[in-house]
Amino acid sequence: MKELCRKLVTGALVCIFYLVPCTLLQAQEHSYAPSDIENGRGLYQANCLGCHGNDADAVEGANLSTGRFRRASSDEDLIRLIREGIPNTLMIPKTNLSYGDTRAIVAFLRALPSGGALVADEREVRIGDAARGEALFFSNQTQCSACHGVNGGGNLLSPDLSNVGATRTPATLETAMLDPIAEVRAGQRFYQVTNLQGNTVNGLLLNQDTHSVQLLREGERLASYQKEDLQNHGFIPSPMPSYLDVLSPDEVSDLVAYMISLKGEE
Amino acid sequence: MNRNPNPFVTHEFTGMEKIMKCALKPLISIIFSILCLQSALAQVTPDRLLNAENEPDSWLLYGGDYDSQRHSELTQITKANVADLELQWVWQNRAPDGASQKFEATPLVVDGVMYTVAAPNNVIAVDPVSGRLFWIYNYTPTLDARVCCGRVNRRLAMHGNSLFMGTIDGKLVKIDSRNGKPQWMIDVAPPELGYALTLAPLIIDNKIIVGPAGGEYGIRGFIAAFDVDSGEKLWQFNTIPAPVDPGSETWTDAAQQAWETGGGSIWQTGSYDPELNLTYWGVGNPGPDWNGDSRPGDNLYTESVVALNPDTGEIAWHYQFTPHDEMDYDATQTAVLADLNWQGEDRKVMLFANRNGVFYVLDRETGKFLLGEPFVSVNWMSGFEENGRPIRALYPTEEGTFIMPNNQGATNWYPPSYSPVTELLYVPTWLDTFSVYTKRPVEYTPGQQYVGAFPTMAMPALGVNAVNQRTPEEGLGAIQAINPQNGEIVWRHVMNNVTDSGVLSTATNLVFAGGREGHFYALDAETGEELWRRTLGGQIASGPMSYAINGKQYVAISAGAGLFVFALPE
Repeated sequence: MKELCRKLVTGALVCIFYLVPCTLLQAQEHSYAPSDIENGRGLYQANCLGCHGNDADAVEGANLSTGRFRRASSDEDLIRLIREGIPNTLMIPKTNLSYGDTRAIVAFLRALPSGGALVADEREVRIGDAARGEALFFSNQTQCSACHGVNGGGNLLSPDLSNVGATRTPATLETAMLDPIAEVRAGQRFYQVTNLQGNTVNGLLLNQDTHSVQLLREGERLASYQKEDLQNHGFIPSPMPSYLDVLSPDEVSDLVAYMISLKGEE
Repeated sequence: MNRNPNPFVTHEFTGMEKIMKCALKPLISIIFSILCLQSALAQVTPDRLLNAENEPDSWLLYGGDYDSQRHSELTQITKANVADLELQWVWQNRAPDGASQKFEATPLVVDGVMYTVAAPNNVIAVDPVSGRLFWIYNYTPTLDARVCCGRVNRRLAMHGNSLFMGTIDGKLVKIDSRNGKPQWMIDVAPPELGYALTLAPLIIDNKIIVGPAGGEYGIRGFIAAFDVDSGEKLWQFNTIPAPVDPGSETWTDAAQQAWETGGGSIWQTGSYDPELNLTYWGVGNPGPDWNGDSRPGDNLYTESVVALNPDTGEIAWHYQFTPHDEMDYDATQTAVLADLNWQGEDRKVMLFANRNGVFYVLDRETGKFLLGEPFVSVNWMSGFEENGRPIRALYPTEEGTFIMPNNQGATNWYPPSYSPVTELLYVPTWLDTFSVYTKRPVEYTPGQQYVGAFPTMAMPALGVNAVNQRTPEEGLGAIQAINPQNGEIVWRHVMNNVTDSGVLSTATNLVFAGGREGHFYALDAETGEELWRRTLGGQIASGPMSYAINGKQYVAISAGAGLFVFALPE
């Protein structure tokens, strides 16, 4: 509920900043109609989610959330794969799906990179100038590039953004800048351990179980700890700062424009 | 259960008796020899199965015994020495095909040989002391095979010198235990319509009893018995009654068609009480899973436990845990049988920790509801009517409904254990999980999933990834000790990840279990304290078991693609 409130407040602020003077742009950049994607969402839920999961990344070797498909190089390949299945796997032929339904699922999968399978933030947000955004990204004012890499650079504790435009919606990117702790995905969560001597280490959580925790700690070093050797351990907020009071609405829109231009290697 | 009265009676012989004894001695000797020969030829007789509890060195039935208590009477491994347990051997299967081929089988050990099944349907016979292979029988299921939740097999059954395996393409195979050669194979149900056999068959007398998985494909479930020699079908109990059958009044759709695709799958082995001559089976979800609009009514016998006469397949009683289920709370958990002084009265009871989050005690003679207590956070029901019917609180909606426990359930097929020593039931548990259930239109297409919209879940249903980056709020696992007298949680051993592991208890008050993290534990059965742990490097999704060879006790568990066996050092 707290997170929901935070999102609502952020959304309200965004509206106040941008709604009146700005041109609203459609977030959707894919060639599929929003109705196709929405239809595909329901079809995905009914036919695919059980194995592939909420975020379409639950099957090892078949992560559908990246926009890249090992066994399919085109949308027609994907449609064929879904309808014909993969022998000797749980991926059975989906002969119940019409071509149109299968195409809708592909539309949904193509839209998946826009922020998560079932919770994509499709709010319309203002998109500024990408060139100005790039300059900001590498400026001392924002110091984005001190942490985040784009085709190189950055550090390993922060998400590489080379492909972020293909994996997030503009609204998701804007929220990440203004309210970075609103949603932190698995794989980007930070963890803190304090040993029995009182020394504290923070790091990116790579893995944990009942008895141990594995981090990529500050200094980009792998570290594993036995929980019985720790006096405290647990999740901590993301170190990503909020730019709500740092950047103007125009600057935020420029950064959003730059980031959605980052599509990685085709 | 006392089902093995002492057959030896001593008394003084009279003179005539002595003469008769002398005269009959050679004849008796011949008869005895024939019996011995038959015994040698037929390793596992119905009597051995009936008296499995008196044979703790072996592991003859899925749950160790017909009562499915998964409790070992072996006493060599104790609280005092369990910390010394050492790995004896590992048998490595080929790497499983992702999450779809979990190593779920409980091994069978008889007369110095271990038999088990590597997913999906490859049978192996190994030396239980060294792990060396005697033979392997590879079966490749047809491409028609379709299973919602894993190309898996939970165990073999054995009768005489034959092993019986259900396959994921709907077949029942009889295999010679001495050389791994198939003896016959029969079609139980059509795989192209979603029927699959993943359970361990149950042998009672000369019958082999199975039922099909496929609740996500609009099957019409059944429990069927086949002759162990000929494979002839002897009877079939349909878990979804036809319009003329008793129970059909719980399928009230106007068109009277919903029953044809009504689900009611069977994918966990039944239990058996020889004194009552009743066999007990949990029945799976109605179809479609998450939108019950097309199947108004309670939808018997889905989400029920049914008590059947194993000679005829006739139903004696049933109890429905989740009437008109729309959360996929398959009641295919293990029905554990125990004879207890329950709240001051000697009773033959059934202990049933259900996927819907409630622990039940039933009178297994009559099916009477005795107790129902949640063992995790539950919000789909708010209590019970006097007759044991749950008071329903929530249903899926078009907007989405937040319901606890989640779709995978508070527990599942993972077999629990009951210890007659501590009188506690040990239940693998997913703690306080939730799903958002959304009602969507759904149509039946033969052979395709017939479910509705999959509910949301915070963790993968099948435990695909070794990595766990979830927060505690997104799901924890536990082994919980439940007191059958009142449903109270006596202790709880919490794990950072959820668990698909079964549980074994021993006469020495140990509990063995594991989880998705790949740790295998020995816990104190009285307190839950961890006494020993080994990391096996792959998720544990099977039931532990114990056996002894030449006086040495072993504990076996599969994890990842391997079968691991532990014992005390020499």
